[in-house]
Amino acid sequence: MNKYLRRAIIGVIAGAAGGVALAYTFDNPAVGFSLGVLFGAIYGVAFAAPSRADADGILTAASLGVPLWALINVVALPLLAGELPRWTAAGMRAQFPTLVGWTLYGIILGLLAQAFGDLAMRVFGAEREPLVPAPEVKTRIVILGGGFAGVTCAEYLERAFGADASVEMTLVSETNALLFTPMLAEVAASSLEATHISTPLRSTLRRTRVVRGRVIGCDLSARQVRLASDTRMPVSPTNHKDADTAAHADDHLLSYDHLVLALGAVSNYLGMKNVEQTAFDFKSLADAIRIRNHVIDCFERADAETNAQARRALVTFVIAGGGYAGAELAGGLNDFARGMLALYPNIPPEEVKVVLVHSRERILPEMSAGLADYALRHMEERGVTFELQTRLTDARPGAVTLNSGEEIETETLVWTAGTAPNPLLQTLPVERDKRGAAVVDGTLAVPGHAGVWALGDCAQVPDAKTGQPCPPTAQFALREAKTLAGNIHAQVHGRPLKAFHFDSLGQLCVVGHQTACAEIKGLKFSGFFAWLMWRGIYLGKLPGLERKVRVLVDWIIEVFFPRDIVQTIDTDTHRKDLGTPGDEARAEEMHRMSEAQGAYAGS
Amino acid sequence: MQVPEQRLLRIVVAAVLGSLGGILYARALDAPPVMNILLGAVYGVVFASLFARRATTPGAGLLWGLAFALALWLIIPANLMPMFAGTMRQAGMLDAARAAFPALVAYLLCFGLPLGVGAGTLQAFFARATEENPSIMNKATRFSLPRALVTGGSAGIVGGWAFGEWMRQVDFYPLVAGLVSSTSPMIGKTLHFTIAVVIGATFGLLFQRDVRGFGSSLCWGVGYGIFWWFLGAMTLLPVLRGEAVDWSYTRGGELFGSFVGHVIYGLVIGLIYAIANRLWVVFFYESDPLNREPSGVGERNLRALAWGAAASMTGGLLFSIVMYETGALPNVASIVGGTSYALGFGLHLVISALIGMSYGVLFRREAPDAGAGVAWGLVYGLVWWFLGHLTLFPVLLGRQFTWTIEAANLGLPSLIGHLTYGAATAVVFMLFERRHGAWLALDPRLAAREARLQRPAGTPAPALWFFLLTLGVLLPIILG
Repeated sequence: MNKYLRRAIIGVIAGAAGGVALAYTFDNPAVGFSLGVLFGAIYGVAFAAPSRADADGILTAASLGVPLWALINVVALPLLAGELPRWTAAGMRAQFPTLVGWTLYGIILGLLAQAFGDLAMRVFGAEREPLVPAPEVKTRIVILGGGFAGVTCAEYLERAFGADASVEMTLVSETNALLFTPMLAEVAASSLEATHISTPLRSTLRRTRVVRGRVIGCDLSARQVRLASDTRMPVSPTNHKDADTAAHADDHLLSYDHLVLALGAVSNYLGMKNVEQTAFDFKSLADAIRIRNHVIDCFERADAETNAQARRALVTFVIAGGGYAGAELAGGLNDFARGMLALYPNIPPEEVKVVLVHSRERILPEMSAGLADYALRHMEERGVTFELQTRLTDARPGAVTLNSGEEIETETLVWTAGTAPNPLLQTLPVERDKRGAAVVDGTLAVPGHAGVWALGDCAQVPDAKTGQPCPPTAQFALREAKTLAGNIHAQVHGRPLKAFHFDSLGQLCVVGHQTACAEIKGLKFSGFFAWLMWRGIYLGKLPGLERKVRVLVDWIIEVFFPRDIVQTIDTDTHRKDLGTPGDEARAEEMHRMSEAQGAYAGS
Repeated sequence: MQVPEQRLLRIVVAAVLGSLGGILYARALDAPPVMNILLGAVYGVVFASLFARRATTPGAGLLWGLAFALALWLIIPANLMPMFAGTMRQAGMLDAARAAFPALVAYLLCFGLPLGVGAGTLQAFFARATEENPSIMNKATRFSLPRALVTGGSAGIVGGWAFGEWMRQVDFYPLVAGLVSSTSPMIGKTLHFTIAVVIGATFGLLFQRDVRGFGSSLCWGVGYGIFWWFLGAMTLLPVLRGEAVDWSYTRGGELFGSFVGHVIYGLVIGLIYAIANRLWVVFFYESDPLNREPSGVGERNLRALAWGAAASMTGGLLFSIVMYETGALPNVASIVGGTSYALGFGLHLVISALIGMSYGVLFRREAPDAGAGVAWGLVYGLVWWFLGHLTLFPVLLGRQFTWTIEAANLGLPSLIGHLTYGAATAVVFMLFERRHGAWLALDPRLAAREARLQRPAGTPAPALWFFLLTLGVLLPIILG
């Protein structure tokens, strides 16, 4: 017997028995009895009584008698009779018998529904649950990239598909956390703890399977993504089989119905191999930690260095690129380096140099000229040196060369001067722009490849209104992610897709202690107020309440205490610094230490 | 001891306790002893058969016992007895219930209290014999005597302070001082706080295992407060002062202010106890990495606040119909110095949202099904009738709150509104919780964690709902 029919029959019988009590207290007994039967049926269907829960059943049903009395006798019946509700003291006292009636009704209903339920269990056995087959996965969405674009897209997909178990989502990322890049310079400048600006993907995403791994190829015709053999991939019914049948036994394959390319960008050294080998990248959390440790290391070595020329090279820091990343890093490193000086008495303050090399005539080209000038002047006042309209042409351990022929002796070069879309795109048969980004249509779909989508830094996305390519910034990537997730959801459900359009909100850039520049919807701000805006806006955008609290605490600590100069073990085996002789041995020693401690050696 | 033997022992003990309760009942109400002893034994057997299995601790037993006694009173002294005696037709059901009010007090104290606590103690004794050593993971759910005494005692002090405001207002302290043959308000105040600490500590001792979230603890506190009105204000106080015990409904009506005070006192005890208990558990157990939850407390609370605010809109709109019909909206507007319906409606929705948010934070994971959700919502609505309508609303209007039966009479339409608001808010909130639960069900680990944190079946929550809702609605009607 259908379980609901069985419950309804039990409810009707129990309700009829309880209805006698109602009939006794109602002016019109037939109405009371009928209501008893009706609510008995509803109670029976709605509340499945667990076996031998007599006490629970009796008192739960009796409790519900009170609101039923208020609903029926105090409000509904008078209204149906064309009267006002009887909710005055006198009216409710006049209804007292029915209150008792409903309570007794509840007691009888609960007792009998439980008793008949237990009896039915003995006679007919347990309720037959209709066999609901486990939902089959019909749509597999694979997102490549754990940056802003990929993670935000996964979040919107989770919202769009909700608890729909027929859709499986997988996100492949080389790191297990989302890095909040606007605060990366503060990590390099020892203002924030490194992990506080990264949010674990596993706690951010609620139903998306997270695979920490490296993508080494995509077969768009076979609809498969190949992951490097060192990838630890969780077993899933949909990818396990693929892995067994992999052409490359050591690699893992992920099959998809929709593939989202959110691979981001990498540093572009414009073909300068020497620079690439000697410069620090400034893209990842590991890069920021490495730069911070390296700066502290330079100060330690400089403090013990007696040769003035070598010492100067140690405390000279060159940053290539005057965009947001370069300017913020230069401002932050300048504060960090000069703030540390008090602890290194053997380093003359005039020897510390932070040099920003930029190929254009002004820094921060994305901002208006006035704000860029303000930033430059402010940073110069605080000790940053600018080499404008200058290019870096070469680098070697201990020095960098500029296109003017000038050579700057330095142990530290950080590259922020150029980025290029992820090189994996070069291996895909998709149309690319001159930067190497995948060209997509207005709906963020890759033309000619059904089910393949791209967004963020690795895509050239046309704006629906202007037709112009959108800038590869996080601000646009977040909005693209929302549109893309909506379009995948729409396509799965056969609905029309939407084209992407977004008007930039503005830009923010912090350029040193309590100073920033901001341009919001055409309005320009600079100085302390802009800095407060920067902190307020980015703290709000930092994912996760816990991270917000941690960063806020870091900022408060920084008001009262100096920045931390404790060196942590550099676990990077391919450390790139412009080290002096002896550094290799030190790096090896550090590597041995990290291995001995079982530290993870990076991906 | 084997299960059948335990069952037999439970029945025998309950019959004996019921008989003893019958003796007490006969003495208290000057009733025929033999019949009441027999009746008590029958009550004991019925309680042991239907309820005793759920009475797993003395505290749980107390609630089941009180609810059982209240149901018995409704069926027997308030209905069957006057019906068979023929007095109901002459006086009507309300007057028959008023006449049977002494029996209500007697049923709760002579049958409900001993049967419940006795069965709970016995069951706890059985359970203790078979209890295994706890793992570090479930230490937080184990009974802890220091936690019960410290958190309960602290809650008692704060609750005593809240109740003390009313006692000061109506010059009740000299009456309490009479317990030690004094009339000094200071001695009365000292005694009052001593009693408050004792009641708070016993709250911790009795209910530590059953209260889970803030909301359920608050409701448990209200139930315990009402119980102490019957035991303390109506019974022990006159006994200790050497006066005759008066359990009539007229005396109950005179002590209605004390009844509301006990409700507020219990509410504060329950809430403060839950907060102190939570801090204790977080500090000593949940901060242990082995017991950590994946998502932080802030995230969970923010979500609950948002759901509560959204859910309260349904309840608030339904409540506003009652307020419009009864002309109460201008009164609400007068909180901010206005008189218009529109302002009153807007302010009412803001207050609804705030109370809804509090519901979200307090009652997360308390309702495993729709029935439980509605019941918690109704109880919360009832609590806000006592706290909001009878207490805070007059204060916000710049008046002194009056916990009189006359004030309750005037507020009865609002009681219907509060109940409707609570039920509707709870149902919508439960839908939000279910929707979120469907997400979590996709991951078996998260689903298992959620199931662990949900209030399980078998706690005395149904007894509490019945006790609170029935008495909360019945008493203002009977005592008026």
